[in-house]
Amino acid sequence: MEDPTGAYPGRRGLISYVKLVIPFHFLPHARVDTYSKVLGYYNMDFSQIIANSLVRGAELSLLAIGLTMVFDILKFANFAHADYAVLGAFLVYSLNQVLGLSLFLAVILAAPATALIGICIDTAIFKPLRRKEAKVVTAMVCSLGIGIALRNILRLIWTSRTKTYAIPIQKPIEILGARLTFTQIGIVLTGFISMVIFHLLLHRTKFGKALRAISDNRVLASACAIDSEKVIKWMWFIACCYGVMGGTMIAMEHLLYPRLGFDILIPVFCAAILGGIGNPYGAMLGALTLALAENIVLALDFSYLISLGGLFEVGPIQISTGYKPAISFVILVAVLLFRPTGILGRK
Amino acid sequence: MPVIYFLIYLLTMIGIYSLLAMSLNFQVGFTGLINFGQVAFFCIGAYASSLLVTKAGAPLILGFVGGMALSGLFGYIISIPTKSLKADYWAIATLAGGEVVRLLALNEGWLTEGPFGVMSIPQPLRWLFSKDSYPLFYLFLIAACVLIIYFVLSLLTNSPFGRNLKAIRDEEDLCLSLGKNTRKLKLQAMVVAGMVAGLAGALFAHYITYISPENFKPIETFLMWAMIIVGGRGNHLGAILGAVVIQLFNVSTRFIGGYVPLGSDTMAALRMVIIGLLIVLFLLYAPEGLIRERKKVYHLKRKHIE
Amino acid sequence: MLTLTIRDLQKNFGSLRALDRVSLEVQGNSIVGLIGPNGSGKTTLFNVVSGFYEKDGGEIYFKGERIDGLRPDQIVKKGLSRTFQVCKAPEKLTVLENMMLAAKSQIGEDPFSALFRRPRVSMLEKANLDRAMDLLEVLQLVDLRNEYAGDLSGGQKKLLSLGRAFMLDPDLILLDEPTAGVNLTLATQLLKVIRELQKKEGKTFFIIEHSMKVISDICDKVLVLNFGKIMAEGTPEEIRKDEQVLKAYLSGA
Ligand SMILES: Nc1ncnc2c1ncn2[C@@H]1O[C@H](COP(=O)(O)OP(=O)(O)O)[C@@H](O)[C@H]1O
Ligand SMILES: [Mg+2]
Repeated sequence: MEDPTGAYPGRRGLISYVKLVIPFHFLPHARVDTYSKVLGYYNMDFSQIIANSLVRGAELSLLAIGLTMVFDILKFANFAHADYAVLGAFLVYSLNQVLGLSLFLAVILAAPATALIGICIDTAIFKPLRRKEAKVVTAMVCSLGIGIALRNILRLIWTSRTKTYAIPIQKPIEILGARLTFTQIGIVLTGFISMVIFHLLLHRTKFGKALRAISDNRVLASACAIDSEKVIKWMWFIACCYGVMGGTMIAMEHLLYPRLGFDILIPVFCAAILGGIGNPYGAMLGALTLALAENIVLALDFSYLISLGGLFEVGPIQISTGYKPAISFVILVAVLLFRPTGILGRK
Repeated sequence: MPVIYFLIYLLTMIGIYSLLAMSLNFQVGFTGLINFGQVAFFCIGAYASSLLVTKAGAPLILGFVGGMALSGLFGYIISIPTKSLKADYWAIATLAGGEVVRLLALNEGWLTEGPFGVMSIPQPLRWLFSKDSYPLFYLFLIAACVLIIYFVLSLLTNSPFGRNLKAIRDEEDLCLSLGKNTRKLKLQAMVVAGMVAGLAGALFAHYITYISPENFKPIETFLMWAMIIVGGRGNHLGAILGAVVIQLFNVSTRFIGGYVPLGSDTMAALRMVIIGLLIVLFLLYAPEGLIRERKKVYHLKRKHIE
Repeated sequence: MLTLTIRDLQKNFGSLRALDRVSLEVQGNSIVGLIGPNGSGKTTLFNVVSGFYEKDGGEIYFKGERIDGLRPDQIVKKGLSRTFQVCKAPEKLTVLENMMLAAKSQIGEDPFSALFRRPRVSMLEKANLDRAMDLLEVLQLVDLRNEYAGDLSGGQKKLLSLGRAFMLDPDLILLDEPTAGVNLTLATQLLKVIRELQKKEGKTFFIIEHSMKVISDICDKVLVLNFGKIMAEGTPEEIRKDEQVLKAYLSGA
């Protein structure tokens, strides 16, 4: 498979460039903010980092919420979740670019359509597994297979070429020192509103109550005459709709291509686990934390540290952007090892 | 006669993937460790061996040993978190770990030549054979490796060690309550599996003589998973059969691709759709695979049977 | 002298005090019963003692050594093993394989020995096989020896777990409801086996049981657990007459 995005453009090493020069200037010229220099953040534009993190956090949390719900209720990690989202993003693309609908309208149509597909897949595959009381691991491996199939079906229908939505090129505007496009502002706002809606869904509707009951205790829930299969269908519906929104946002911000689902899978898992699997608020917090971490780590400049405080002359030393996908992995492993219940974990 | 060469190529690839599938099966089918980053072993084995030979100038045999050792070491490292992680969390972590290994190969160009890959990797005993007969020799070499590994793994899985692994797979708590050090057992299993897959990597690198990160994408892991799901887990023959079936399918569709009016990208996508569906359908309707796990029956002395 | 001594053991599940400062002693070469209403914390006590749950306070000594904080397998190696109330039966291991699995100090458990010391390994396997078959005969499981453990009935799984415990041959065995679901004649016979093991081989048993008959038949001493606390202790006769215990059982039932 080609890598149509050039998602890994950084083809430099982990430590990109170190030049050893005989140190004639032993005394560091700038003693002023040694602290920020040693920690490597003296060149950073914080408001921009926070703005970028909000955008990415909004995208990731919309995806992580669905993942965490499925994990909580059905007890398996759905490796196809991000692919459902990208399927939706492609539907949005067709509605938007081919039929000429506005993006907003396209998402409103594509989300339930994807949700329907998600529910069909559940009925055809996961429900029989639940009936057979198969191990959760089986469902997980199944979802991997579904993800592979789905990803390549997208490739069959829409080809591997990258796509973009019909969004006019925008001039970024400046807010509190950060430069953001209208699209990005829209993403953050939509993310925020979706979260509020999710909160209301969870606490103000019968579905939310039933969902929480099943999450707490399945046996008890079935004793209270909660039709868990119906709740599971609704859960898929919401997980997919939120996923489609998140997927579309990521595609708006970057590019749309069939493998996108796989490329965002690990960050989404990371966000969900970081916040505490099964906890929707944790998913939001995890997504934001991960987004911040990604942006900060990439912006850090280790040159002062590596040069031993100015002993050698070195160029700026930053983590190569080629390792951006690895950041979420490192955070994921660290969280799994040291706090597997996540930040807001409850189990 | 190009058809013969195609056949030899096909069999050689089947042999290499048999090793990889047996290794994955050893983890999944025997020990119950869900590894979604199997390709990392393959990658490490291939890179370690070829770099040792091309860059460090080590003799070929040392390259193979080094590839196996490093891959085994990687197995050791990724088995450490199994002691505290649930199976699904570990699976997620291995998927990410496999990607990180590829990213390292892609980004650490000073060592791996990055996206350009390692070129002109020497082949073992190349000087003994003519250009035409060498592929056949290599096929025999790989067949011998598959036989030996099959034999070694069978010995292991039929021993008390293998029995412990199966018990971990089925009931880990029970194993603990019988005094088995499950951490150590998993660790040993991962090292063994890593070495086998590392050998496959080395064999692959010295066969095609040119490797790049492109060879070690997650899709390879998915193929290996399809092999053990189709072939059957907990059974070395199943893994080999799976490798035969999936590779035949994989390579032959590539071959057919030349004769159907579809783009190569479309063919590749179609192929992977079918692989994905095979995984799902087998898990749903034939969860045991083509060859099911064999029951172990002990030979008893007459006294007990009467 | 082999004893299990527990001092002020505590275990909480959230706000629930499953074990509330439990102190007790199990003397070597004896059979001690543990009774109590459902949910009183008996299984939890076994889980903590055998290292499956972390304690929240207190100390556990076995043979004079502290064992709290050790991993379950380390505790087993000190000579203390347990069975589970809900039987664990590896799905794809046969009954005979289960028995073989339990045998201790098998050199073939090391992959290196399994490959390079095959004669020694197979010699040990043969010896273990003999012992396993003898035990299966006692448990009347010989005919099922080639069945998968996962396919057995609940009672048969109980028998198998006893078999594994005997095969493992620890000094102190914690049995969690060993006769639940086993038919009466066989249960009686099992109790006889347990008695014999205690008398002849000096084994110690700590048994959770519901049937007062079983307790009276074989226990030297009985402990009563209620709401995570030891509420009574004595010989079976004494316990049977204890008003408090009766009340606890009646209210629990
Ligand atoms: N893993 C656990 N998590 C939460 N609560 C538990 C757990 N195990 C046991 N409990 C609770 O501890 C109490 C004691 O349980 P248990 O020891 O199984 O009782 P017994 O074996 O005497 O019937 C019960 O109220 C049970 O609900
Ligand atoms: Mg109990």
